[in-house]
Amino acid sequence: MNAGAVSRRTLLAGSAAAAAGLGVAGCSSSDSGGSAPKAKERKPGQKITLTFWAWVPGIDKAVDLWNSQNPDVQVKLEKVSPSGGAQYAKMHAALKAGNPPDVAQVEFQVIPDFLLDNGLVDLAKYGIAKDKDKFVDWQWQQGVFGSSVYAVPQASGPMGLFYRKDLFDKWGIAVPTTWDEYAAAAKKVRKADPKAYISTFPPANGGWFTGLAWQAGAKWFDTHGDTWTIDIDNAETRKVAEYWEGLIKQGLVSTEPDQQDSWFADVQHGRIVAWPSAQWGDAILSGNAEPTKGKWRAAPIPVWDKAKPISANWGGSTTALLRGGNYITDALKFAVWLNTDPKSIDLLIAGGYGWPAAKGAFAGSALDKPSPFFGGQKYNTVFAASDKLIDKSWKWIPTIQATYKHLGDEFTKAINDKTSFATAIANVQKATVADMKAKGLKVA
Amino acid sequence: MSRSSRSSRAAIGFLAPFGVLFALFFVAPIGYAVYQSLFTVERSGPLGLGGAHTVFAGLSNYSRALADAQFTASLGRVLLFGVVQVPVMIIGATLLALLLESASARGIRFFRTAFFLPYGVPGVVASILWGFLYVPGISPIVSLAHGAGWQVDFLSSGTVLWSIANIATWQFTGYNMLVLIAQLKSVPGDLYEAATIDGANAWQVVWHIKLPMLRPALVLTTVFTIIGTLQLFSEPLVLKPLTGNINGSYTPNLNAYTEAFQNNNYNLAAAEAVLLALVACVLSFGFLKIVGRREKP
Repeated sequence: MNAGAVSRRTLLAGSAAAAAGLGVAGCSSSDSGGSAPKAKERKPGQKITLTFWAWVPGIDKAVDLWNSQNPDVQVKLEKVSPSGGAQYAKMHAALKAGNPPDVAQVEFQVIPDFLLDNGLVDLAKYGIAKDKDKFVDWQWQQGVFGSSVYAVPQASGPMGLFYRKDLFDKWGIAVPTTWDEYAAAAKKVRKADPKAYISTFPPANGGWFTGLAWQAGAKWFDTHGDTWTIDIDNAETRKVAEYWEGLIKQGLVSTEPDQQDSWFADVQHGRIVAWPSAQWGDAILSGNAEPTKGKWRAAPIPVWDKAKPISANWGGSTTALLRGGNYITDALKFAVWLNTDPKSIDLLIAGGYGWPAAKGAFAGSALDKPSPFFGGQKYNTVFAASDKLIDKSWKWIPTIQATYKHLGDEFTKAINDKTSFATAIANVQKATVADMKAKGLKVA
Repeated sequence: MSRSSRSSRAAIGFLAPFGVLFALFFVAPIGYAVYQSLFTVERSGPLGLGGAHTVFAGLSNYSRALADAQFTASLGRVLLFGVVQVPVMIIGATLLALLLESASARGIRFFRTAFFLPYGVPGVVASILWGFLYVPGISPIVSLAHGAGWQVDFLSSGTVLWSIANIATWQFTGYNMLVLIAQLKSVPGDLYEAATIDGANAWQVVWHIKLPMLRPALVLTTVFTIIGTLQLFSEPLVLKPLTGNINGSYTPNLNAYTEAFQNNNYNLAAAEAVLLALVACVLSFGFLKIVGRREKP
């Protein structure tokens, strides 16, 4: 509130400050479509510098390695903040202003959003096809639209279950392998320690819930001809939503936000004893719950059907070339090297970038080692198996950020007002269709 | 050269720095926001991926904003916030100012600085600090209350708005107090002398001299607070990750920010910003008109 000195200076200034702030930032070009501007290419022997926007911790070391090996093609890394989608706001603004970085980190789920602004270079035109076999197929497919390829996959987030082995042993709880067993384990945790919960249902974490719906076999988004189809309100999604609704109503899980101060405190003090999460959750646990070192283990994510185990994915990144950037041939070479060179991958793993998109990168890598935080367990074998059981056909829509917000709003409302999660899902469906139509897109 | 033309040239010279900056940083952006709010993006090609161009949309962004239940709810929320928080803060600031300016006040410098100090803390930092005091599991206040058997939750759907109001009040009461003290200091001493000779006690001095003399400063601080309330932004943005009860459309400013920078709907965001500015104008000038009318009996 009281935006401070600026708004206090004069009445007129004060009442207009909101408009002013947005006006400046809202500079849009009237033509974001049409043919791509001519990108500069490097002449033989010419020294160039590529600009690269990313936020993976430790990626600077991989960039340094590239720079030491490629004196003519230097890469200038600029770290961008991933907080609340700020990095994408910056990229979209740069695209509109016509001075984007040559290379950028772009997550799977926002690729369609960038395509809507015609913001990514079609790499198929620059011969990326030859590199296809270097990458895990489903991750590769995330960047494929029709005959075009818009991104070099970097890493994904196969899901597993992190749990406190010491407490599970003490309380005589077997590691749950199905979601039914997970509910039973949740009950036992409550009985063993009234202050503890097995985990939380983070109402505002749309990405996490999407991963679990994906696991249950939901296919939210697809395209038919020139039309998008939205199918969030389906039997699979409702099954997942109602499962967690049941746990909440019985008081078996908490509803605090995850990866926040209070959640970290609960994890440190044994009040949250498990976390269905992605592989990259390992760094979050070890970085924020140091006193619990050695007490954690990883297990496969609980499944719905033991006979047909399907795993889940939460998050994932690519390296993409933004339209309007230069030196595409060299930029593409860097993007492929960054995500396939074993030394680069090891440096990225050390930073905690997720699960490698490069095929066969796991064996012998820094991931393929026992971890002291997980009591000497070679815990990543769990995620190696998980990565192979992910449904490959999942697609995204251009308005996914808004859908995540709708999920958060509707789940929060349902929990506060004690209304049904099925209604919440139906509302998210309606709101998402409205978002797409408001963008001027055809929705079936 | 005539004298009048020389002096008018001097006037222009003195006004120019202000005029240029005002035009560049206030008039132009506002004009641009209004212009932006009248356009919309149209997409072509299969799946809308064939490119986009901007077309004139009249007032459709405004009707979309007003039809958006989340946006109108956010306006209602800050109005409710203002109805409670503005009087609380203004009364609080007035009380503090009168106490510090009363004849029997002690340690005036210390308390004046202490009351004003929170204003020196940037809004974002203040929100982070208070966030730590609100979050269960970390907050000593929450654990003390729980220890005493009192189940408080500062971040529940019913309380979080008032937790934000608390931050705002903590931060700005001292600032408003200082404005009021400055006004009190300008009250001519002979008024007090006359009152003492007439046998007025301290209460009567407050009621018949200090408060009437404070009136212009009270009007000023109230208008600033009304505007500040409507622009509520950084506190909910910082507290948002701590609770699902604050979302990206909690206040009108936050809603416009979300539309612009998360959903890439710049034109809709511009319309929302213009609407918010209009509401702020109506409320501020409406308030000034009401107090102005009372002034002429």
